[in-house]
Amino acid sequence: MNAFLSAFWAETLKARRSKISVLTAAGFLILPLVDGLFMIILKDPVRARAMGLISVKAQLTAGVADWSTFFGILTQGTAIGGAILFAMITAWVFGREFSDHTAKELLALPTPRGIIVGAKFVLIALWLLGLTLMIFVIGLGIGTAIGIPGWSIELEWSSFWSLVTVALLTFMLMPFVALFASAGRGYLPPLGWAFLTMALAQIAAVLGWGDWFPWSVPALLSGMAGPRAEQIGMHSYILVLLVFIAGVAATFAWWQSADQAR
Amino acid sequence: MNFAIETNGLSKSYGQVRAVDSVNLRVKQGEIYGFIGLNGAGKTTTIRALLGMIRPSAGSVKVLGQAVGPNGRGPWRQVGHLVERPAAYPELTVRENLEIARRLQGISDIKATSRVIERLGLASYADRKAGTLSTGNLQRLGLARALLHEPELLILDEPANGLDPAGVVEIRELLAGLAHEKGVTVFMSSHILTEVDRLATRIGIIHKSRLLEELEAEKLEELRSQRLEIKARNLEAAQSALAQAGFAVKANESTIFLNEARAIDAPDEVATILVNTGIPPTRLAVEQENLEDYFLRLTGEKA
Repeated sequence: MNAFLSAFWAETLKARRSKISVLTAAGFLILPLVDGLFMIILKDPVRARAMGLISVKAQLTAGVADWSTFFGILTQGTAIGGAILFAMITAWVFGREFSDHTAKELLALPTPRGIIVGAKFVLIALWLLGLTLMIFVIGLGIGTAIGIPGWSIELEWSSFWSLVTVALLTFMLMPFVALFASAGRGYLPPLGWAFLTMALAQIAAVLGWGDWFPWSVPALLSGMAGPRAEQIGMHSYILVLLVFIAGVAATFAWWQSADQAR
Repeated sequence: MNFAIETNGLSKSYGQVRAVDSVNLRVKQGEIYGFIGLNGAGKTTTIRALLGMIRPSAGSVKVLGQAVGPNGRGPWRQVGHLVERPAAYPELTVRENLEIARRLQGISDIKATSRVIERLGLASYADRKAGTLSTGNLQRLGLARALLHEPELLILDEPANGLDPAGVVEIRELLAGLAHEKGVTVFMSSHILTEVDRLATRIGIIHKSRLLEELEAEKLEELRSQRLEIKARNLEAAQSALAQAGFAVKANESTIFLNEARAIDAPDEVATILVNTGIPPTRLAVEQENLEDYFLRLTGEKA
């Protein structure tokens, strides 16, 4: 336990000192802000046009200005934005050890490599959870300030759990990003992987196979594809879980036994 | 005998490239072992194998009596290392970088970081971000990390890299002190042969992936060739006088060289011959081949 706490302390120190912690928070903050802007526009499109918030020709199809729509946009934004932002965080946590050539300092230590990798995954999980909670709480503040109608405690809780579920499913796709950051020794391979899976997720969803393609699941669940979200079933969750287990196992195995010749 | 480092038939190949070929190293406890070789000879690959960073294609590695790897297994609490150029988290200060190392080494003494900062002369840089350090100070940080847990074995890849002349002397004295006073075993690779020559008690020479020779420093003294170097105002006349006296004379534009034992053992006789011929020498000295020349001769890199 001590070894894990030491490794976790080291990982948090690196994250706290880096600019990426502030940049990712700022990046994710855009979600509730834009969501709030949509609500202002939807509440009174005529006034929004008069204020110059939207062009005269613009037609907003997001829905009506209520809490249900507000939470829906927040969850969909997390599914799409999260796939990129969470991948950037994961790529940084693992890839920076190769980019800064510090990986070799983590290999011949009394703290086992597996514990260091475990600490990295726990940090990523908590980081992503923190960002998710942040946008939800700030979203609540923005929604309240705008005065959008239709709030209820049941809606708030169900929306909160939808958001956390989407964030959790997105996190479960991250171990493969970690593997690409490690085996690819840097930032480009994991980000390439993230963009590739995003594109494939779109194609799978369009073809109607999204529920069988783990990288499509968070977006489908968020309601991004409308009624197709109904396709999501137990098999989809199991596939995401399998991808998570395979990614974690492969990342651990790589750190344990791959040649570290650079 | 218990060796601090022992490899048996250690080999490592990357595809068709044989980076290290059947290396049998024996490093005794308390020794300062200089591991020398040209760039690409296999020094760093050997060091990485000693630290379990790469899996040998064949052979085995034992460090402090314990088999190394797979899965990062090894006596790492007793081993300090510096591999290739030192690396540090650039946005963290020197102290924070060492604090991470202290915790990952499992050292509970929180003063260990401050002690090693003082020892390596990093006190005035302790709160500076590692990304702003000079190469020399980054090297000091790497050495500080290696020494932080007061290991009984140090495996150092080019420890003098990037240090200024005063730093080189300081680190040499530090390593010599650790070996002599605390019995720390030092295994250091270097291409700065004068450094190895001054410090090492035993030397291993690796060339084209193979360990060519492993010998004590005293033995090396004996193996290095000696020659008598002579300068005179009339070099040609001196050359013919010595040739007439039966010496095999070699010379360049300014100096005559005699490699025979009778010249090296009795330079006074050579001086007498020259004085009697009316060509007194302006310089007469027995010179010993340095490690660099010996290394180049052994590896065939210089005729």
